[in-house]
Amino acid sequence: MSSFAIRTPAPAAAAPAPATPANAAALIPGILLLAVVGYAGKFIEQFIAHYGKTHHLVLPNIEYVLWAILIGLAISNTVGVPAIFRSGVATYEFWLKAGIVLLGARFLLGDVRRLGGLSLVLIAIELVLALTFMTYLGRAFKLKPKLVSLLAVGSSICGVSAIIAAQGAIDADEEDSSYAIAAILLLGALSLFLFPVVGHFLHLSDRAYGLWAGLAVDNTAEATAAGALYSDAAGKVAVLAKTCRNATIGFIVLGYAIYWAGKGQAAEVQNKAAFLWRKFPKFVLGFLLISLLATVGFFTKPQLAAVGNLSRWAFLLTFAGVGLRTNLRELSKQGARPFIVGAVGEIVIALITLGLVFGADHWYHL
Amino acid sequence: MANPSPLRRISLDTWAVLLAFAAALVVRFGIVKSVPW
Repeated sequence: MSSFAIRTPAPAAAAPAPATPANAAALIPGILLLAVVGYAGKFIEQFIAHYGKTHHLVLPNIEYVLWAILIGLAISNTVGVPAIFRSGVATYEFWLKAGIVLLGARFLLGDVRRLGGLSLVLIAIELVLALTFMTYLGRAFKLKPKLVSLLAVGSSICGVSAIIAAQGAIDADEEDSSYAIAAILLLGALSLFLFPVVGHFLHLSDRAYGLWAGLAVDNTAEATAAGALYSDAAGKVAVLAKTCRNATIGFIVLGYAIYWAGKGQAAEVQNKAAFLWRKFPKFVLGFLLISLLATVGFFTKPQLAAVGNLSRWAFLLTFAGVGLRTNLRELSKQGARPFIVGAVGEIVIALITLGLVFGADHWYHL
Repeated sequence: MANPSPLRRISLDTWAVLLAFAAALVVRFGIVKSVPW
């Protein structure tokens, strides 16, 4: 199906969970494919390390994250993902969210408050600059106004989830959201390879790099992967910063909904509190609650390690899904102008956030 | 139109949180003692 790469995230983010055994059974082949691809990545990493050790060779340590993504990309861009696997592969966002909640066990609440508080300050600055810049850039390129709103929301907050949330709230065309999602996904795939290179080139610390990836990479799965590609510690910080960014979805989408309703081009928001709760990502609360339980000693140390490893397994499925759902040929067919606006915007946002992180590192010694 | 069943009204986000908590509790109460990586 030509639109698989574009539309996969939408049902994964918005569809209700399977409520019948038949629906659940249809997911199994795809989930098994995620597990096989993810585990193959882990196996290759371990095999190379073992081979280097036994043959006294110094081989580069390439994380399983990259292998899993590359194997997934190779499958989706050559033979394609057969229909029987697609619904299961689309669950990668579900595993991402479960993994983020479980990752809370590896944070004490003090860390969350310190790093999360700093992230929120940087996010506030990033949001204002990114939304303003993307809006002017979109207008300069004469994109449709609602497509500009979707691109601005997608590149400033949370990629695909934010675009889907905003599409419903501002009554945007499905075609516009497909353009915006394609631009964000394609740029997210590129950032997976570029961010670690830039991070190593600038000798960023794990915390500084993780904060940068969490602030600048749009889609949560790609931000998590970009962090994990640098180091385990960077991956943790990237997830925390990205989770803080996700928490702002409801407020930004509400702002846009009120703006477009004021122009008579979207439905009025009747109950703003209910709207905010509906759009608020619940996994943020789960993450905070697990972190709270870890802080008050609900888990022993070995249990914390076990819960942390469960989170790694959930992320392993996610990273396999990132590769499997990315069809570069289909994404590039979506038209040049939204992509150019997205690319220019992303580069500027990456530079702004890099500057913010350097500033934070200078003042707060990350 | 008939109301969706209670299970269908739970969002994907919430399912992910419930699964994560169930897994964490399974570890906490010793049903699973260790998780290798």
